[in-house]
Amino acid sequence: MSEIIPEVSKDGLLDLGKKLFDERRVDYFLGYKKGTVRFKTIPLIARKGEDLQELWVEDFFHANLSLYLKEIKGRVGILAKGCDSRSLVSLIKEGQIKREDLYIVGIPCAGQVDPGKAAKAASCEPEELEEIIRRNQEFVIRANGQEKTLSKTQVLLDKCLFCQYPRPLIFDSLLTGDYVAPVSPVARAQDDLRQKPVSEKWAFWSGQFERCIRCYACRNVCPACFCPRCIVEENMPQWVSPLPAEGDNFVFHLMRLLHVAGTCVSCGECQRVCPVEIPLMKLNEKMTDDLRELFDFVAGVDLEKALPFRTYRQEDPQDFIR
Amino acid sequence: MEAKPETEKKEKNWEPKILAFLCRWCSYAGADLTGSSRISYPANVRILRVPCSGRVNPLFILKTLRSGMDGILVSGCHPGDCHYTAGNYNARRKFAILSRLLEYVGIDPRRVQFSWVSASERDKFAKVVSAVVADVKALGPNELFQLPDFGQMTKGPTSPDP
Repeated sequence: MSEIIPEVSKDGLLDLGKKLFDERRVDYFLGYKKGTVRFKTIPLIARKGEDLQELWVEDFFHANLSLYLKEIKGRVGILAKGCDSRSLVSLIKEGQIKREDLYIVGIPCAGQVDPGKAAKAASCEPEELEEIIRRNQEFVIRANGQEKTLSKTQVLLDKCLFCQYPRPLIFDSLLTGDYVAPVSPVARAQDDLRQKPVSEKWAFWSGQFERCIRCYACRNVCPACFCPRCIVEENMPQWVSPLPAEGDNFVFHLMRLLHVAGTCVSCGECQRVCPVEIPLMKLNEKMTDDLRELFDFVAGVDLEKALPFRTYRQEDPQDFIR
Repeated sequence: MEAKPETEKKEKNWEPKILAFLCRWCSYAGADLTGSSRISYPANVRILRVPCSGRVNPLFILKTLRSGMDGILVSGCHPGDCHYTAGNYNARRKFAILSRLLEYVGIDPRRVQFSWVSASERDKFAKVVSAVVADVKALGPNELFQLPDFGQMTKGPTSPDP
């Protein structure tokens, strides 16, 4: 990566985008625009310079835009938070996109607000939230005419509290701003479930899988899920019944997990979109921890290192094999 | 979620059903040798021959569990002996992750076991199969999932748990 970082201001971003279109460096530009739901933005897929007028980079950019690279073919300009840049690295390694087809603009992220969590902390309904204002180290929440001051840990998405990559790992230019983690990163709390006996684990997970309605939102939102035809839709042979029965949900969730192993960068989108709030990140974290422990592999941080299931070492652990 | 009773599996002389994925070059030949050497091993195991342990997609294992098999054994060549040079090395990585994940979601690791058995290890094959069968017998029947009631399904998709 070059020493000189090409920085661009927020106003400059619009000009940069237009320039990219004018110079035919990109066919599309992916960003965020204001939607109709408060505290959320929707993706903006610009096809020409004028479309960029709607670009919005102030706050609330939860979505991992690398998802849309599955569908969009061509040269793409894209905004990427630090964590999203890991998805881009992953997808480049998987051969889904080419680095030279991308123009990546890194954006500073001060942690993404979780309105549901904020509402809970302010003891009100998410619909009653009127305003969420950032103030240095805390948030001021206005709901039902009352103001409440909440800490960052009470408002931000869980993944942002353990943010390790506030600064994009690959980029072509950076938006001006501070590239620091929203809270000083602490070690992720050890998942209690891992220490429990097998029967309790089953009791927990069967309760979770039972609630799954198989809407496939977790799959659809996942940048790492890029099979053109998903096994859940295959019917000859039929691997998983479309009926949301507990056993099929179990097969679906574990298979989803195994398919993204090595590509999943724990961006947390699957859990964020789950309508029945299955703690999918617990599964993802377990899988990423195992990959690190067994094969010394961390997804999305190194463009050179081989993917864990494309390589092997003779001394790989095999204590589980008779 | 404890075992669901009143299935015939609960009967006193219940015997586990075990599916064994055996590699065509080593373990399958090993199983063959065990038989032709007249070494006896439990008859609970149903053998499925696969070209290589690397052919065993984790999906096969999940699907087998889901369809109610009580135990699974995947067996291939020893590391370094693979007919396709590296099939078992690649398989080993997949199985390492799979077995840890299965344990994490609450499937007893004794239900899904892995082994390396070469074409000449007739005693080892008998030993492995007996050990797996003993483990699964101790665990009891696989009642993790209630299989869909097809009588009900014709009436429309209702809750799988009546």
